[in-house]
Amino acid sequence: MSKNPLIKNLGVWGQRIENGLLVLILTSMILLASTQIFLRNFLSTGFTIGDELLRILVLWLAMLGALAASRDQRHIAIDALTRHLSPRLGMLAALFICVFVAVVCGFISHASFLFVRGAYIANESVLGGQPAWVFQAILPIGFGLMSWRYLTHTATRIRILLGKAGPDDSV
Amino acid sequence: MILFSLVLIALALVGAPLFAIIGASAMWGFMQADIPQAVMGIELYRIAEMPILLAIPLFTFAGYVLSESQAPSRLVRLSNALLGWMPGGLAVVCLATCALFSAFTGASGVTIIALGALLYPALIEGGYREGFSLGVVTSSGSLGLLFAPSLPLILYGVVSQASIDDLFRAGVTPGILMVVMLSIWCIWSSRKNRKAVKQFSWGEVRQALREAGWEIPLPIVVLGGIYSGYFAVSEAAAVTALYVLILYLLIRREIKLVEMPRIMRESMVLVGGIMMILGVSIASTSLMIDLEVPQKMLAAINSHVSGQVSFLLLMLLFLLVLGAILDIFSALVLIVPLLLPVAQSYGIHPLHFGIIFLATMELGYLTPPVGLNLFISSYRFDKPITSVYLATIPFFLILLLSVLVITFVPQLSLWLVPD
Repeated sequence: MSKNPLIKNLGVWGQRIENGLLVLILTSMILLASTQIFLRNFLSTGFTIGDELLRILVLWLAMLGALAASRDQRHIAIDALTRHLSPRLGMLAALFICVFVAVVCGFISHASFLFVRGAYIANESVLGGQPAWVFQAILPIGFGLMSWRYLTHTATRIRILLGKAGPDDSV
Repeated sequence: MILFSLVLIALALVGAPLFAIIGASAMWGFMQADIPQAVMGIELYRIAEMPILLAIPLFTFAGYVLSESQAPSRLVRLSNALLGWMPGGLAVVCLATCALFSAFTGASGVTIIALGALLYPALIEGGYREGFSLGVVTSSGSLGLLFAPSLPLILYGVVSQASIDDLFRAGVTPGILMVVMLSIWCIWSSRKNRKAVKQFSWGEVRQALREAGWEIPLPIVVLGGIYSGYFAVSEAAAVTALYVLILYLLIRREIKLVEMPRIMRESMVLVGGIMMILGVSIASTSLMIDLEVPQKMLAAINSHVSGQVSFLLLMLLFLLVLGAILDIFSALVLIVPLLLPVAQSYGIHPLHFGIIFLATMELGYLTPPVGLNLFISSYRFDKPITSVYLATIPFFLILLLSVLVITFVPQLSLWLVPD
């Protein structure tokens, strides 16, 4: 996205952290869910917080997956007219879409921040006494990062439109 | 208000992500109705409050691993050994294996890539016409939609709050009906192709069975566990994910450890996409319920449509159009909450409605402009989209016929469901 090495490194490390977390959470989910079944069926026991933790992991995984989809711009879309637009018009539409998604994600991030702040103020807890806001924070953070990601896509689109970069020159 | 909706529709049509479209309209609606913004967060957090959702990432991941392994080729060899002797046998093999495989991979297009790539050349080599082969492979890519543990079935359970176990039972007969009707067509239309018929051999069956020895327990344990009620769906998903992970990483070693992060990421991109649409749709649905949209819709439809038969016909027409423009996941989470109460007022059982909905959406995979299977086939087999479309027409018509049967014979969906 940028020639600035700091931002470029930030992007590379961001992607590594994102992929690392994805692998870590999915692997723990598989192991934890299997352990729960084993304990329940063979030893008639189980972690009481296990099921709740699994549900929270689903949310985290969903947000990380959505973030990955945002990076590759592979969110589910209709895409019926795009093929019939002229290249220039298609580029403009794509630019407009990136701005739109960045704005919407920004709004959703803000709205979920208000939700998390409410949980913080009300001292809500999950997993037998842990502060709920810590686990809910993935919502504003995730949507915030998605917004940021679509802003970088926007910048890339503008550079392409201005003829300053090739289509592949994005982070 | 109208201008805002028009802009959103235009953006959706030129390819804006649907979660952003639905999210924007929900946020806008909250503002108009003076509902606090934080409600959006509350609704999104419901993703962490539905135990059944655990099944979605686990099954999706398992499906991606299966499609990257050599399981598809073993599955094809085994079914070919069992069914290859019939006229049209290889086409029936294609239908059966794809139905099984796409039930596990959630009809996400993976089936055509993993299995179609094996079957298409085999069909051509077996003397089947090119158009016919293309049609079989393309239309069987989503044939598993009505069988457990397909993702759309699970998602319908989430949205409609129907029992997932009952839903799985309801899908069995309609799903088999689709496979059987297509099979009959395949056998009939390739009755003159003698080249395709090969000798049945016990030796080949034994070898194929031995080769697939590690895979055979998987559908038996998962499907048997789910249908008998021994496993909850999310438990079956966990078992499947762990099993395929150990099998292909440690026992068969068909997938290298270094490839795993890529496969995990690929599968979670799909999961993230579905979950985002689900999350914002929960918000937009509760907004619509607040605004009494379902009641208004019900009243409007009730005053214009009388009788179950005319309602069902109208609904089919609507779903066909819907399936042609919207992907199955978005259609499910957006339309089911609105349409289900209306259908129920016409005396349609929620499980029957679900099966009609999904069966009709399955046709959407084959209808332009956005039929996913058409594009994947065209891309994978390097054929122009129009020739793929023409090749699928007979198959589409047969599936349409089966949808009509499924719609007007509710017993097909309900006879296996306990009262």
